[in-house]
Amino acid sequence: MSALPDIALPTNRDENWRYANLRPLAKAKSDAIAAHDPATPVDLPAILPDYERWVFIDGHYSRELSTDTDASCARLIGVREAGDTLLTMLDLDLAQAGVDFSLARVNGARGDVVLHIAPPDRAQARIEIIFIASAAAAAGTSYPRVQVHGGRSSHLRLVERHLSAGATDPLVNAAVDIALRADGIVDHCRVQNCADGAGCFDTLTAHVGERATYRLRTVTLGGIASRSTIFVKLAGRAARCEFSAAVIANGSQGHDVFAGIDHVAPGTSTRETFRGIATDRGKLAFNGKMIVRETAHGADSDQSLKSLLTGSGAEAAARPQLEIYTDKVSAKHGATTGKLDEQMLFYLLSRGLDRLQAQALLQWAFIEETVSQVELAPLRLEIEQLIATRLNEISRLEGLVTNS
Amino acid sequence: MSALLEISNLSAKVGGKNVLNGLSLTIGAGEVHAIMGPNGSGKSTLSYVLAGRPGYEITGGSVRYRGADLLSLPTEERARAGLFLGFQYPVEIPGVNNVYLLKAALNAKRKASGQQEVDAYEFLQLVRAKMKLMQIDESFLKRGVNEGFSGGEKKRNEILQMLVLEPALAVLDETDSGLDIDALKVVAKGVNSLRSSERGVLLITHYQRLLDHVVPDFVHVLARGRIAKTGGKELALELERRGYDWVLEVA
Ligand SMILES: Nc1ncnc2c1ncn2[C@@H]1O[C@H](COP(=O)(O)OP(=O)(O)OP(=O)(O)O)[C@@H](O)[C@H]1O
Ligand SMILES: [Mg+2]
Repeated sequence: MSALPDIALPTNRDENWRYANLRPLAKAKSDAIAAHDPATPVDLPAILPDYERWVFIDGHYSRELSTDTDASCARLIGVREAGDTLLTMLDLDLAQAGVDFSLARVNGARGDVVLHIAPPDRAQARIEIIFIASAAAAAGTSYPRVQVHGGRSSHLRLVERHLSAGATDPLVNAAVDIALRADGIVDHCRVQNCADGAGCFDTLTAHVGERATYRLRTVTLGGIASRSTIFVKLAGRAARCEFSAAVIANGSQGHDVFAGIDHVAPGTSTRETFRGIATDRGKLAFNGKMIVRETAHGADSDQSLKSLLTGSGAEAAARPQLEIYTDKVSAKHGATTGKLDEQMLFYLLSRGLDRLQAQALLQWAFIEETVSQVELAPLRLEIEQLIATRLNEISRLEGLVTNS
Repeated sequence: MSALLEISNLSAKVGGKNVLNGLSLTIGAGEVHAIMGPNGSGKSTLSYVLAGRPGYEITGGSVRYRGADLLSLPTEERARAGLFLGFQYPVEIPGVNNVYLLKAALNAKRKASGQQEVDAYEFLQLVRAKMKLMQIDESFLKRGVNEGFSGGEKKRNEILQMLVLEPALAVLDETDSGLDIDALKVVAKGVNSLRSSERGVLLITHYQRLLDHVVPDFVHVLARGRIAKTGGKELALELERRGYDWVLEVA
């Protein structure tokens, strides 16, 4: 077993990695896992209507489980080709800014293939990608890779799921790069629900062109340790980013998010919402960095970061960070960390609900604000069910999900 | 047979302050009692102590509900045993919808008494009927509990919950405050529809107006943490005319 010897691993001394749990990295073997069939049958979620599905097992495309057709705007390409297109589509800046943070990119040569999704100008596309981690970290690392090049006025709806099957402690090191041309839209919903012992690391970059909108909804539930590193560059005039993150850290899970959103062009805007629940000894961190450049007159950013602690050993660190180089901006930010509201709890108890149910319900209410932003109804329902399970109250919360 | 509620010599403290000072009050089945009294005299405190709100320390006395020690039960068990508190200031709970709470509350109560969970269809019929009585639009079912409700809507929603739960003892803390004249009648109708020979109601109010519509068997004045005077419904009229000073002087 080798511990990723040839890349510079981040450490907790590094300011932007302070809260990440990096232990799973040290135990993992850095080689990509060879293509194989999963040891246990994979239980895939129901097909989303009108979505084509791409399934990868430990980073390898599974023809059997996928439903893509020749007409798809997505295809598999080699890592080298992907590297070249990345440089032509993304500006070098962004690619390099990522390097410092991205295990994925430093380690880029390891995955075999990249899923390249390129909806042409004015095209609509619906794509669901399922990444399944099935091998133990000691056997290798899985490297999902996705690249999105959205054409002018195109609209891509992208669902990205991370699951596991088989081994309970896989290591996933994912990279997604998105470049969006003028007036394009990407609705990106990411659900991470890996096994409890998984290490989940990912790097995401997005370059957003003129009047284009990038919407990212993330739901982080699985893994013993996860770290998402996100860079969004609002490069074109009036480019927009909407980002909401729902994170639950149960037991001894630790989830860490770094999101840097760079407002470069005039009139760019961001809405960022983070709702995190830490129970038991769970740990959460969200570092939301907003940069507004001199050139970004009229930029508008709004951050709302809230954490809820329900265990005596639970911890949360949600930090808004503003770096503003022009005064013609509106930047709102708020960060709160709190416990369950005593008045609300008493109200529910006074109606006869039992304590566990009332607590779960209030946690639910807290995080529902982000989940309700998932537009695709069947997916939202599924996420709600996953969350109810995580809140350990599926039976008691039953009915809530279908009613909402 | 024991009384529905028997409060004996109850003293309680909140925030380091002695608020209830040896309060005694007995409510028999079938009775409606009204409690009036100056601001800060301890009316809401009494309601919270009965419901078991944390932070309220009992320093003396006892409360028996249907013969059993009420104060030893956790809040949720009191509710399931048939105690209902209509809050003076109902809290907003965004993200938990009204209909979910109604159903969860009803099922908690049914489960405690060994009944099956309510059938979804029957439940909806029941709730619709009660909403009609309370003149609450059905769109409120899907809204967050009290979220963005006006003052009067919150109070009507409290009564709706009460009607669905059919408590044996309802303690209604200023449910009439902030209601317009028509809404007051609606609320009164709701309370009256629950009156029966097995149930008791404790109305906390500042206004005699409500008592025109829900006629009480007894009216009490709560002052400085104890019952300073008890009378029939005519006492409310007298208080309306003369204020509290004369009661306080005697007490
Ligand atoms: N948490 C607390 N800490 C300190 N004092 C408190 C606390 N809660 C209530 N009190 C005090 O206890 C007294 C009784 O309050 P309570 O709310 O019971 O009055 P009330 O009779 O319901 O008044 P109102 O008619 O205005 O509703 C008041 O003086 C109030 O300030
Ligand atoms: Mg009061």
